[in-house]
Amino acid sequence: MTELRKYPGASNDERTCYQPYSAFDVPADLRALHGRYDVDTMAKRIRNFRYAEEWSMMIMGGWLATIPELPVKTGLGKIIWETAQAADVLGKRLPELRAGRNLQTASEPGNQEFADLIQAVAEPEDPDLTIEKISGMFDVLEPHLIAVYETTMRGTDQIADAPTIELLEDIVRKKRRHVAWSQEVLERLCDTDAKRDRRRARAQELRERLRVCGGVTGEMRTAGAAEAA
Amino acid sequence: MQRFISHNELARDRRFIRQNAITDILASLPDDVNAVVEAFDNLAPLIEAGVKNTPFEEVFQKFGPGFLPTILNEPIDPDAEYAVLRLKVRMHGIFMGELQALEGAGRTLWDFPDAPWEFKMNMARQCWDESRHVQIYEKLLGHIGGYVGMFPESTFLFEAACADDPVFRVAGVNRGLEGLACDVFRDMIRYAEKTGDEVMKQAVDYVLADELTHVRFGSEWVKEFTKDDPERARKAKEFQLAVDKKFSIGGTRSGREDATIPVAVADRKEAGFTDNEIEDLYRVSAEGPTRQTLRKAAAILRERHLARKAANGEVAA
Repeated sequence: MTELRKYPGASNDERTCYQPYSAFDVPADLRALHGRYDVDTMAKRIRNFRYAEEWSMMIMGGWLATIPELPVKTGLGKIIWETAQAADVLGKRLPELRAGRNLQTASEPGNQEFADLIQAVAEPEDPDLTIEKISGMFDVLEPHLIAVYETTMRGTDQIADAPTIELLEDIVRKKRRHVAWSQEVLERLCDTDAKRDRRRARAQELRERLRVCGGVTGEMRTAGAAEAA
Repeated sequence: MQRFISHNELARDRRFIRQNAITDILASLPDDVNAVVEAFDNLAPLIEAGVKNTPFEEVFQKFGPGFLPTILNEPIDPDAEYAVLRLKVRMHGIFMGELQALEGAGRTLWDFPDAPWEFKMNMARQCWDESRHVQIYEKLLGHIGGYVGMFPESTFLFEAACADDPVFRVAGVNRGLEGLACDVFRDMIRYAEKTGDEVMKQAVDYVLADELTHVRFGSEWVKEFTKDDPERARKAKEFQLAVDKKFSIGGTRSGREDATIPVAVADRKEAGFTDNEIEDLYRVSAEGPTRQTLRKAAAILRERHLARKAANGEVAA
């Protein structure tokens, strides 16, 4: 019979000892095997995520020239780079999931309606439409991606697919910062009821399209249909 | 969102005013006193209107339109008269250039959605770098007592970012514009060393390091885009030389002994420019008026300006 061990940091009078169970002598791994997504499904999700990230980066790049507010231009500069990095690490995960090495074909929309939604996000062009630009990207698209990435992290196999979880954690952490930045920007820009209405209308219009297309992977539509059935 | 916008569509807040004619003229002048005099004399009313309510108004009253190619275009010597004004002009010009470089890199992402992924990554990185440069130069402008919008903006830098072929973009922006940035920033570092301005020296040195990286992006992508296409390579080189000539602003930046901004040869070599390319740059940038020509022209322009004022009953400054 081996001697009971204390957990790290526990004092002698605490009854928190345990039976040693492995060569590494660490607390039990409580993670369970098996997740909602198999290798092929996860590869497809990552292609969908990468599509959203790649296009978000390109759209924000295009907007730099037509947004007059200097702090918005410079704030977007860093977000563009972090979004490109997100697309890059997602693309690099694909060969690890047996899904090809060609980064040119690594992005794929969940469905045509999501591709159309991305073009709708890109639509505002005139210099007086900064509210519509920022609201579409940061009130609707980025919060949706955060929600889906978090669902993915919770639902995937915690051990076998840990590399996906790691990279999504990092992307989500940065996206939360992007959204926080955008909220400050939008609060400053929307300084009248009319402007706040514009923001609401823009977000509502795109959220509806997002609901109809089923989100970045298209699966919200299937889930909704199943629920309705 | 449309693709391939014109420089006229760059969005600015109300602090900015735009004036392109002067830079275009400086870039195309021959080394001839009379030609310089005539060009600036013809533009005198336009220049006078453009300087109204700006820090240039006082020097225009004193020197006439000739202040542009001389007072503002001389080397930045800390002990010289108008050194601070000259420094502010240059700092503001750099700030505007960084802003347009940011917009240019962003537009390249949008205009070429099918470009190679690594190219897009380089342009995205450049967006972040340029946005930091805008922030840095906004702060440096404040550091020397200037402010954003104090001088008119010329969009000739963004014009190099409007080409419809990505190889022209990187040839014009990453090798032409960023190459000019290497020359200008090395000169700014020399100025900061002379004046003991450690804040400016360190900040500009970091920016210069970024610019070398951007030139390298350009050097690598020009090679990649043109590797099996000698005709495209020839056109890209021609385009870059045309941009280099324009960015030399009539010999202001050149390899001549009297250059206001000397070519930063060591930095350029580190960034991937070859000896032949530096020789080409010397050649195209040597074609504009010398400083002696500009000074002679400025003296004539001042005489004419003061004579006009006297004829109008205004007291000469």
